[in-house]
Amino acid sequence: MNFKKLFLITYLIIFFPSVSSQLRIEIKGGVEESISIAVVPMQWNLEIPQEIFIHEVIKSDLESFGEFNVLPPRNMLSLPTTKEEVFYKDWRLLGSDYLVIGNIEFTEIDQEIRVSYTIFDVVKERVIHRGSVLGPLSTLRKMGHKISDKIYARIQGIPGIFSTKIAYIDKPSKSDPNYNLMISDIDGNDSLSLFSSPQPLMSPSWSPDMQSISYVSFEEGTSRIFIQKLSNAERRGLKLEKGINSSPNWAPDGKKISAVLSKSGNPDIFIYDLELSTWLQVTNHFGIDTEPDWSPNSRNILFTSNRSGSPQLYEVNTRTKRIKRLTFEGTYNARGRYLPNGKGIIFVHRQNGVFHIATQNLRTGKIRILTDTRLDESPTVSPNGNVVLYATKDGDKDILAGITLDGKTKFVMPSLKGEAREPSWSPLID
Amino acid sequence: MNIFQKFYLTFLVIFLASCSSVSTDRTNDATAISASATGAYSDGGITSNNVLYFAYDRSDINSAGRAKIRNLAKMIKDNDLSVRVEGHCDERGTREYNLALGEQRAKTVAELLIINGVPSSKISTVSYGEEKPVASGSNENSWSKNRRALVKTF
Repeated sequence: MNFKKLFLITYLIIFFPSVSSQLRIEIKGGVEESISIAVVPMQWNLEIPQEIFIHEVIKSDLESFGEFNVLPPRNMLSLPTTKEEVFYKDWRLLGSDYLVIGNIEFTEIDQEIRVSYTIFDVVKERVIHRGSVLGPLSTLRKMGHKISDKIYARIQGIPGIFSTKIAYIDKPSKSDPNYNLMISDIDGNDSLSLFSSPQPLMSPSWSPDMQSISYVSFEEGTSRIFIQKLSNAERRGLKLEKGINSSPNWAPDGKKISAVLSKSGNPDIFIYDLELSTWLQVTNHFGIDTEPDWSPNSRNILFTSNRSGSPQLYEVNTRTKRIKRLTFEGTYNARGRYLPNGKGIIFVHRQNGVFHIATQNLRTGKIRILTDTRLDESPTVSPNGNVVLYATKDGDKDILAGITLDGKTKFVMPSLKGEAREPSWSPLID
Repeated sequence: MNIFQKFYLTFLVIFLASCSSVSTDRTNDATAISASATGAYSDGGITSNNVLYFAYDRSDINSAGRAKIRNLAKMIKDNDLSVRVEGHCDERGTREYNLALGEQRAKTVAELLIINGVPSSKISTVSYGEEKPVASGSNENSWSKNRRALVKTF
């Protein structure tokens, strides 16, 4: 091979302006500057009538956090389903930066549904991704979320979160006198009660493999931590100690759980070894230590303590047990969670008697208040670090709301029945 | 091939892979399974309730409350009853922190019962934090009713 010629060709590919696809688009100034994308209704090649429309699932996913503006099919000049039918000029004319087409078929070999799709960069007139998703017909909505994740990742340069789930607690209502531990898609669809009890349920938290959820249940007349497998509802109670047993949170390795016990007379942070079924004490102070969260690198545990007189956030090194105070602004900083990159935290911050969600940069110590609603609590971050979901009030009603970490997009969780609280975002599993 | 060429080809492969990509994903219909509590514990069987109220973010008891506890202690001793003290909070503040605050309230009441002669072996405490409010509504009227300790005798 003539090496010099190859070099020249590559040089052209790399530096000719119409090629690179690793561009990370930055949205500044909000929704009006969102990315325009056209998602064409996909060709349905099945004998049975279509009930779930994948392009609608993708549209609703991409529009959830205000980053995308999806062109409705009625405004399209053509409805291509193959690359040959795509005329870039038409889509440029409509102002679309990106285009997605696809078709849905039944595969005889796999006896499954295959959704094949192509993502185009309209401006650069090229294909940026071709993919397919295979699965049973019953998972059509999930397939749509998978495609949304791929579109998001290819365009934004960070993982999409549309296939993740949230767990939350549904409080008793007139129609259901029980507390329910719920899981659902992040758009509120496909909700399911994992556990139902006439006594309170609290503090759901996902295992890192997304196979189990830990939570607190009062079904025995006192607080106790349980782990429940999603696949078969198998439950396991952690070794019960006198007093409070609560606030479970998994270690990144999935083998340990940090939690709160008050067996020593006041609430302290403990670590439970899931293989040995033993508790190990981490903090020991006469004040309240609670709400532990494991750092992404497993070295530290973030927790709330009132040892200084008011609730503040601290970090304890799990090996040396050395404790460092993190928050200094205000008289109520609690229920902290690390951001997935470990560089910041989100937490509940009280300002002028009102509870907001705030974030703090761990290097600079700078805090930023994210929400302007009242009685905000239980913040949880999306596994790609972009969105915060939290519990708040709509009048007297408990609802879930969200905000992007850049503060530009706010939303209320749609289509949840009942009153939801304590959201917990699942990890990102491929 | 020299080192430059090797490096160059590796770079080329990585670069081309990043331009356009192909993927195959799979979904499955593994649905989660539900369960429910078997009713190991219920609130039934309790003969009388007595309530003590607290100030916001506090777990100390005023003199009227102390008098109430003295009378309760006498009644408990006279009838040889057992006691379960439940601590509760209003909705303000985080749930787990309130669980800790509710425990402090229940323990304050339990200690005053012990001081007034109730054997500690007859007393158990539990905190429900803000999970079992008696009054809904995000206002001081509801909050003051929810910041309470319940002395349940049986």
